[in-house]
Amino acid sequence: MKNVVLSRIDDRLLHGQVVVSWIPYIKANEVVIVDNEYAEDEFMSELIKHAAPENIKVNLFSVAGAADYLKGSDDGARILILSRYIENINELINQNVEIKCVNVGGLGNVKGRERYLNSIHLSSQELDMLKAISRKNIAVEIKMLPNDKAVSVE
Amino acid sequence: MTAFDFFLISILYFWASSTALSLGIGYYTVYRPVVSGFMTGLILGDPFLGMAAGAVVNVIYMNFVSTGGSFKGDQCLTAVIAAAAAILLGLSPVEAASFAYPFGYLGILIWKYRLNINHIFVDKYEKAYEGGKNPDISLYDGLYPQILLYLMSSVVVGTAFFIMSLFDNIIVEYYENIKTFLFMAGMFLVSYSVISILVNLKNKYAYLSFGIFFLAVIIFNVGSYWFLVAAAIILFALSNKNIRMDNKSSNKNNNINKKDLMYSWFIWMNFSHSCYSYDRLQGLAFAHSMKNIFKKLYKEKNEVSRAIHRHAEFFNTEPNMGTPIHGYIIHLEEQSSLNANNMDAAYIKKGMMGIAAGLGDSYTQVVLTPLFISLSVMMCLDGSYIAAFLPILYLAGSILFISYSGWMNGYFVGRESLLERINTVKNSRVRQHFPYIFSGILGVASARLILQGLEPSKTVYTLAAAVLSAAVYWVIKRSKR
Repeated sequence: MKNVVLSRIDDRLLHGQVVVSWIPYIKANEVVIVDNEYAEDEFMSELIKHAAPENIKVNLFSVAGAADYLKGSDDGARILILSRYIENINELINQNVEIKCVNVGGLGNVKGRERYLNSIHLSSQELDMLKAISRKNIAVEIKMLPNDKAVSVE
Repeated sequence: MTAFDFFLISILYFWASSTALSLGIGYYTVYRPVVSGFMTGLILGDPFLGMAAGAVVNVIYMNFVSTGGSFKGDQCLTAVIAAAAAILLGLSPVEAASFAYPFGYLGILIWKYRLNINHIFVDKYEKAYEGGKNPDISLYDGLYPQILLYLMSSVVVGTAFFIMSLFDNIIVEYYENIKTFLFMAGMFLVSYSVISILVNLKNKYAYLSFGIFFLAVIIFNVGSYWFLVAAAIILFALSNKNIRMDNKSSNKNNNINKKDLMYSWFIWMNFSHSCYSYDRLQGLAFAHSMKNIFKKLYKEKNEVSRAIHRHAEFFNTEPNMGTPIHGYIIHLEEQSSLNANNMDAAYIKKGMMGIAAGLGDSYTQVVLTPLFISLSVMMCLDGSYIAAFLPILYLAGSILFISYSGWMNGYFVGRESLLERINTVKNSRVRQHFPYIFSGILGVASARLILQGLEPSKTVYTLAAAVLSAAVYWVIKRSKR
């Protein structure tokens, strides 16, 4: 099993807060993006891989691909998982990928979602899903930046 | 200070903190303490003293980066108060900066509040749209939030000046007793900032560069002009001279001409953060920038309104680096209006915006800004106030070039232009050599600050403040582990 340091749910995936703050903070050296749509989109996969910061390996997988990859043998990499959807992380957990902490960093307001806290908008199904994850003894916290106060979802 | 002075300062603080109505470069110019200190000084009658106080504040905020609506302290308000304290209360720049420091936290309120309160305008826009009223996006993204922001800014500036007036008498009467404390506190903040920047650069050659330049100035008293010229030569040698700027179209039956593109770019630059809210971030601004485009593409009012509304959803990117997205979306919208085919603009925007933001923030805010702002601070601390504007003008010009060329390339070249841009930034030699250049400039600036007050008693206090800040930094760092 690979060493997943943090999994983050964020619409913007590999954006400023992640590159400038989170990656140095958790000392990650590999990013795994879990996204069914982008994994099949040639331009987007190329874009994401090109945008990787120096010394950081970026992999883009579908959910199934990510589960297989993360269950591979630990090569010492410190992995940050990024996904736009809570479902994807939930699916990884269901497939027994070892995830210790789910960070919710930014979910925009789209139809069906309501504002939960600052820039986090959740539908009722999504909130239930987070609560269910939290019941499995996985820390679920809302935290935009490393030094922000974390708000737990329980 | 007269009521008119206060009015001008409230306008200044509004203009600088709104980051709107300043062609997108306000955040890199008037918002920065060197410039806002200068402008406050201009209003109060001593521009260069104001600028000197602003420069010290700027050292304290040198590692400031704001990403996606996050925020630490308000450097602009701190600079306004520092400049005013230096001029009105007769404090030295270092003393004024430490006096003003707590006021920075007052500014956080406005920022957080603004991200919350702008939701009102999003809501009103949505309601008007659903009511079939074809709302004018420029009111909801531009005018209304800006009026509200002006009112809020003047309340904050008013509160700050009121608190300051409470200290007036105390400061003037007991100045001899507290000036040492203010000076030491200022030096503490400055050296704390320098230490944390150097540690975070995590590069031993950067420490070396800092040390060499620091000592060169302390021992030989080399003037800052030499360093400015040297930095200009080095940066020119490292800069990429083959950046593509494509604005010729092979497609003859375009509806959109270059003027339209320039106008929509102009709107974006002026209003990208005008109605910045937690639920949409720059969403309304994106829609706002598309207004003139859709007016050209569609005849019917309802159709224009519907198209604008489609683009009002959540959007957030680095506003200058991310402009190929806008250009490309304009191109796609034009094609889809011609062929009446559907396209998933939301999917494309969402995919590209995060990437552009990650790359953009780590370049414009983390490399370009500290580089040129620190050069400007270095000149200020040497008393060369006019020359201090050169790096800032250069920074503003670069930002404009980055954003304008991206917009045009996005339209004329397509989405590959974002890919191209990513590679340009990744291979940027300025970025690769940034740690040594930046720490060198910082070394010169720190030495200048020490030379400024070269009296034996002050030197002792400076050293004590530096040692203290190093100790505090170490303790904080350890306790975080």
